[in-house]
Amino acid sequence: MADAKSGGTDIVDMLLGIEPGSALAALRAERPEVLRHTRQSYEALFEPASTGGLSRLDRGAAALRVARLSEDAPLATHFRHYLAGITDGDAFIDAVERFPEMVSTKRLEAILLHVDRVTRTPAMATPAHLAELQSAGLAPTDIVTLSQLIAFVTYLTRAVAGLRLLGSAA
Amino acid sequence: MSETKRAFTMEPLDWASWLPTLKLEEATPEQIAVLEESLPTAKTSPYYLLLARDVEVLRERSRLFNAVMYAPKGLARGDRELATVVVSRINHCVYCASVHAIRFAQLTKHPEIPQAIFDEGLSTELSERYRAITDYAAKLTRMPSAMVAADLAPLRKVGLNDLEILDLTNAVAMFAWANRLMLSLGEPVAKPSTP
Repeated sequence: MADAKSGGTDIVDMLLGIEPGSALAALRAERPEVLRHTRQSYEALFEPASTGGLSRLDRGAAALRVARLSEDAPLATHFRHYLAGITDGDAFIDAVERFPEMVSTKRLEAILLHVDRVTRTPAMATPAHLAELQSAGLAPTDIVTLSQLIAFVTYLTRAVAGLRLLGSAA
Repeated sequence: MSETKRAFTMEPLDWASWLPTLKLEEATPEQIAVLEESLPTAKTSPYYLLLARDVEVLRERSRLFNAVMYAPKGLARGDRELATVVVSRINHCVYCASVHAIRFAQLTKHPEIPQAIFDEGLSTELSERYRAITDYAAKLTRMPSAMVAADLAPLRKVGLNDLEILDLTNAVAMFAWANRLMLSLGEPVAKPSTP
C-alpha cells in the first residue's frame, strides 16, 4: 500500500521546494520512515479513501485555520488551494479565513472554534468542548479524526520550519 | 476539568477518555493489527482504543511516532526524550510529561533534570548541551513561524550535526501532535493503587 502511493506529491517537499538530489532531499532520505509516514499521514487525513462523517470541506477548513493561527503562509496557501479544488467560488474560503467575523453554518463554527482551542490553548480543553461538537453533528469518530487533523497540522508546521532552517544554513 | 490542573509528576499516570472508546470485541481485524503494532499494551489503553476509531490515521501516526522516537543513530534517545519533556511542559501535558520524564530518567540515570524542569520551569540550570536543546525545542513549540537560521547556532556549537538537528526537530514536532491529542480527548488520572 505504501509503495502504491510513493509516486504522489510529498507535502513537505512541495512546501519547501525540495528538489530531488538536493542536500535537503538527501537529509530527509536518512529518515525514510519519517518521510513516508509524514506523507501518508497527510494522505490519510486529506485524501482518505472514505471521508466518513468529516467531509473534505470540513478537513480543509480546519487545516486552513490551523495554518493561519500558526502564521504559516505557505501552508495556508496550500490549504486554500485544497479547498478551491472542492468548492465553487470563494465564499466558503472567505468564511474560514474571516472566522469568527463571518460564519456560514453552526457545524463550521463548532469545528473552527475547536480548531482555535486545540491549536492555541490545548491545556484548556474540557469534555464540554467535545459535547459542543457532538451537538453540531459530529460523531465520536469524526471528533477523533478532527483532533488528529488539527494536531497533525501543528506537527507539520514545526517539522517544516526546522527543515527550512537546515536548508537555509546549508 | 480540575484534573488538567494536576501538577507535573514523575510518577506514572493513567489516562481517561472523554469519548467512548472502541470495544475490542467490536474491532475489525485491521484495527486489532494496528493496535498491536502501535504499542504492546495498546489493546488495553483507552487512548489507543479511542484513536483506533480512525484506523488509517492511527496506523500512520504510530509508525511515524516510533520512527521519530526510536530510529537508530542520529540524536541520542535521551536527548529526544528531553525535547518531548520540554514541549510537554510548555503545552502543559502532564500525562506526556510524566511518561517521557520517566523514559529520560531510565535512559540517562538523571531523574533530577526533568524534575528540575517541572519544578523550576525551562529556566532551570542545565548543561550547555541540554540548554541548547531546550531553547530550540521551546522556540519551535511556541513560535515556529519566527524560527531563523541563527536558532541553529547553539545546537551546532554543542556539536549537533544535521541529522541530529532533524531528529530533534521531528521529536519537537511530534509532541505538538501528541500533546494536543492527549489534552483535548481526555485527561490524566491517578493509577489505581495496587498493594
